[in-house]
Amino acid sequence: MLQEYYLPNSVEDALVLLKGNNGQARIIAGGTDLVIDHQTEKVKADAFIDISSIEELNKIEEADGVITIGAAVTHSQVAKSQLIQKYAPSLVMAARSVGSLQIRNIATMVGNVVNAQPAADTAVALVALGAEAEVSSASGVEYVPEESMYDGVGKSTVDSTSQLVTRIRFDAPQSNQGTAFVRLCQRKALALPMLNVAVMVSLKGDQFEWVRLAMAPVGPRPKRATEAEEMLKGSPVTDEVFEKAVQLALESANPRSSMVRGSREYRMGVLPVLIKRALAAAVDQAKMKN
Amino acid sequence: MSAVKIDEQVAKTSGYNVIGKSVRRRDALAKVTGEAMFSTDVKLPGMLYAKVLRSPYPHAKITKIDTSKAEELPGVKAVVSVKNTPREKFNTSATMTFTVPHLDPVLDQYIFDDVVRYVGDEVAAVAAVSEEVAQQALKLIDVEYEQLPAVYDPLEAMREDSPDIHTGCHEGKNVPGDIVKIAMGDVEKGFEESDLVIEEMFKLPVQKQAQMETHAAVAQVTPEGNITVWSTTQTPHPTRMILSKVFGVPHSKIRVLNPPYVGGGFGVRIGCSGKAEPIAVALSMQAKRPVKIVYTREEDFTASDTRHGGYVWAKLGVKKDGTFHALELKGILNAGAYCSFSCEVPGVMGAMGLSVYRIPNENFVGYTAYTNTTPAGAMRGFGNPQAIFPLESVVDMAAEKLGMDSLELRLKNIMKTGDPWCLPYPCGSTGLAECIEKGAESIGWERRGKLNKPGATKVRGIGMGVGTHCSNAWPFCVDYDNAYITIEQDGSVQLATGVPDIGTGTSTSLPQLAAEVLGVDLDTVNITFGDTASTPFDIGSHASRTLYAAGTAVIAAAKDAKKQVLEYASDLLNAPAERLDIKNSTVFVAAQGLTNSCSGSGVCKVGSGERTSITMKELAAHAHLRNKQFIGVGRIVPPNSPPWEAHFAEVEVDLETGQVRVIKLAAAHDVGKAIHPAIVEGQIEGGVLQGIGYALSEEIKYNDKGRQQNYSFHNYFLPTAEDVPEIDAIIIESNDPSGPFGAKGLGETGLVPTAPAIANAVYDATGVRFKEIPLTEERVFFGLRNNKA
Repeated sequence: MLQEYYLPNSVEDALVLLKGNNGQARIIAGGTDLVIDHQTEKVKADAFIDISSIEELNKIEEADGVITIGAAVTHSQVAKSQLIQKYAPSLVMAARSVGSLQIRNIATMVGNVVNAQPAADTAVALVALGAEAEVSSASGVEYVPEESMYDGVGKSTVDSTSQLVTRIRFDAPQSNQGTAFVRLCQRKALALPMLNVAVMVSLKGDQFEWVRLAMAPVGPRPKRATEAEEMLKGSPVTDEVFEKAVQLALESANPRSSMVRGSREYRMGVLPVLIKRALAAAVDQAKMKN
Repeated sequence: MSAVKIDEQVAKTSGYNVIGKSVRRRDALAKVTGEAMFSTDVKLPGMLYAKVLRSPYPHAKITKIDTSKAEELPGVKAVVSVKNTPREKFNTSATMTFTVPHLDPVLDQYIFDDVVRYVGDEVAAVAAVSEEVAQQALKLIDVEYEQLPAVYDPLEAMREDSPDIHTGCHEGKNVPGDIVKIAMGDVEKGFEESDLVIEEMFKLPVQKQAQMETHAAVAQVTPEGNITVWSTTQTPHPTRMILSKVFGVPHSKIRVLNPPYVGGGFGVRIGCSGKAEPIAVALSMQAKRPVKIVYTREEDFTASDTRHGGYVWAKLGVKKDGTFHALELKGILNAGAYCSFSCEVPGVMGAMGLSVYRIPNENFVGYTAYTNTTPAGAMRGFGNPQAIFPLESVVDMAAEKLGMDSLELRLKNIMKTGDPWCLPYPCGSTGLAECIEKGAESIGWERRGKLNKPGATKVRGIGMGVGTHCSNAWPFCVDYDNAYITIEQDGSVQLATGVPDIGTGTSTSLPQLAAEVLGVDLDTVNITFGDTASTPFDIGSHASRTLYAAGTAVIAAAKDAKKQVLEYASDLLNAPAERLDIKNSTVFVAAQGLTNSCSGSGVCKVGSGERTSITMKELAAHAHLRNKQFIGVGRIVPPNSPPWEAHFAEVEVDLETGQVRVIKLAAAHDVGKAIHPAIVEGQIEGGVLQGIGYALSEEIKYNDKGRQQNYSFHNYFLPTAEDVPEIDAIIIESNDPSGPFGAKGLGETGLVPTAPAIANAVYDATGVRFKEIPLTEERVFFGLRNNKA
């Protein structure tokens, strides 16, 4: 049963409250997942510490070529941010895909990340962007790569009863780089992805300098297609190379069968299409910028 | 066509004052401000809250049930189960109140039984001071189950080695009620004489009504034993009959009402709202306090009627010149665990499937089989969509085989007014040819075959489907209506009708009819509806019948009241009643027009013969002072007449993912006469969207433990607002000779031919024929891949 609801004005206060409650209090931002999980007793907490009044966490900023997004920033804010639209269209697409307009207006991007669903759209995009999370706790601040934030299905490495993700940050993509996010779902809102793929490519002339390719849900967490990425490094941008990348990526994918969101066979059947579309879109974007 | 255009047209071409106009809806202000009262909002002093314990197993015998710990929990005021509720068999659907001889209604359930037959079946219920306490108490009920073998597929359920879900099935293993058979001509000979015969099997999904307001009821039992139930039912009067049977209380001591609004129906609560009403009453009787029950969305999905899924076989025989010569339809549908409308749905399926085209030799056989899944019952279309997807698919296939344009083939064969058909009433009117013409124009039918570039991965296609429906349920079951029109002492009008307004605009359109007949200002007409205590019996709001059938009663009542008014005015105006009429709330001598009224002069001193008109206000006051009131009564059995519809879809298919998106849907509907054009358009658009869901994404699947996999708005894929394509709702008016001012049924028709229009468009785009819906990404992906191989 919920006994207390705190609205701290600073990160420091939030951390003091976390510590003072000895693991009985939990961070809440938009609450669109947490409130339901609390009601169905999937998550237990005596107190919520609401971070939405902490002004410094409600910012999207660029400084020294690094973009930071605060923990109180909603999906709608990300999707509408000119800065993100300019640098990371993949993240705009991912943020725009979550839930419905009403949900996006209240749910935070960091909440999407910390909720740690295998195919959390923004998490998949952030993995491809090479993002990392700023995690604050009583013992200080640490930076955790986005792809290391999963501790199993629906389990984050972040303990929201003692830690607070304050920001997400990633290097602003350069003019030779492009990002893309492609998603397959049954309808245009209120649909978890049957599959989603995010890529970031860095081009050097007509070749891939490097590529980060993340896929989900093909395992308990967004999956990097590392063999494909390795192969792409230094390869020319051709259909044959795309084809080869797809084959290697498929080898790292292990989707489950879901009666609701598609069989394993179907997901394996369409994953190549999504990867190719994402790669092509990211390459186009990088070329356009040049 | 837009509502405004229609209004202009009506103003120019008809002499109507009120009908044909999109007047402001009576419920608009209350609903947009949030003031409108729904069952979910009802709150009474001392009211308790109920929660239901449901079966986790698809089929099991309850060997032990101990509720004592739950009863001891502080705040719990009553616990009901098989041990303390009536052992009176009933049917949650209104079929038990309106099945006509020679058929017998199937009564196969109790409020609680000692056998559970699907996951979600009711085991016990608790009333407590809060929902939280009630929920907690459920966990304290100790139940032991002995699991029984379960079956989920209707064909499998009919096999000898399958478990008996109910006893007493005289037509065959697990087949409830009677098999429906409809025949005309000689179908065997018909196929022999045909030059082309197409025969295919189709598989249909379980769709859910997904109405906005979940099932809810509040029951109050007085110390004298009088029962009042506020609920979400679409049929207050029949629901009262059901409660009367279950609890052994006379009809006159039970009041069932909507409060007054209902958040949608789509057929899901023709009769009880799930079991909300009987459970609330049972708990209220025990607790001696009012009890409220509101279903969660998951309960609504898992424990109240769905559309029937199942198997349909269609066989069409055609002559070389395209003349349809023989048609055979056969349906075996999934009834689920209890027989809701499972004897009636196959009947409508056959009756409608056989009535679209003029075919001399026809045959239909249809029935359902019990399975251990959520009961299937009435849902918008009521068997008709299940017939039309197969029928309109084989018609499309025949056109291709014959090398004919499928539109021309349809035009050649559609039913015409007066044609012989299998229905027990005449085909009184049809605007289907015009629907086809206007729909084709809207979609750009001539663009077919020219939409795609070679090598494209996203391809477009255009398809069509046509259909009909009924305007009520007569003469297939009990179907009659009553209405009262009372002229109040100030000349204003009180209309009382037993139908509810489930969101379809009844509370606006029925006053429109009354005002038109009476010649009074619409603003002076008030309506009381959906309440057994203040309205005469009406069979309720379903079967596309409310405006057509209840409207016919309203017109009869208004005519009766008008006759009384004119007879009374005859003396005052010194003219025979036949020469009098009412316009602008003023009675006048028809030949002399609306002049020389005595407005403003108080009670009219007429009788000298000088007066040629009198306002309703003055007339009613005059009558009141002479101890008289005008009360019109309408008591009718409605006739029946077919509405018609043609849908045209343009779709885009992603050949690489299998994803189908509707680009545009043109829906042309012969509604007879649009009494309120904006409501008509709304009905068409809503129906079309539900049809798109049926075609593309809506489906309830069960896992091997009998659990629904699609039990919430999160995992059941209704189209969202963002998915709505361009919908062109086209109103065609054939002015039916039987309906109120020419109107026919409409409510269900919006989704009848949507699925085949879309599937035929997908065929046009891809060359692959799909015989199973919904056309999910996965189904289309593998369909395309397997077809390539």
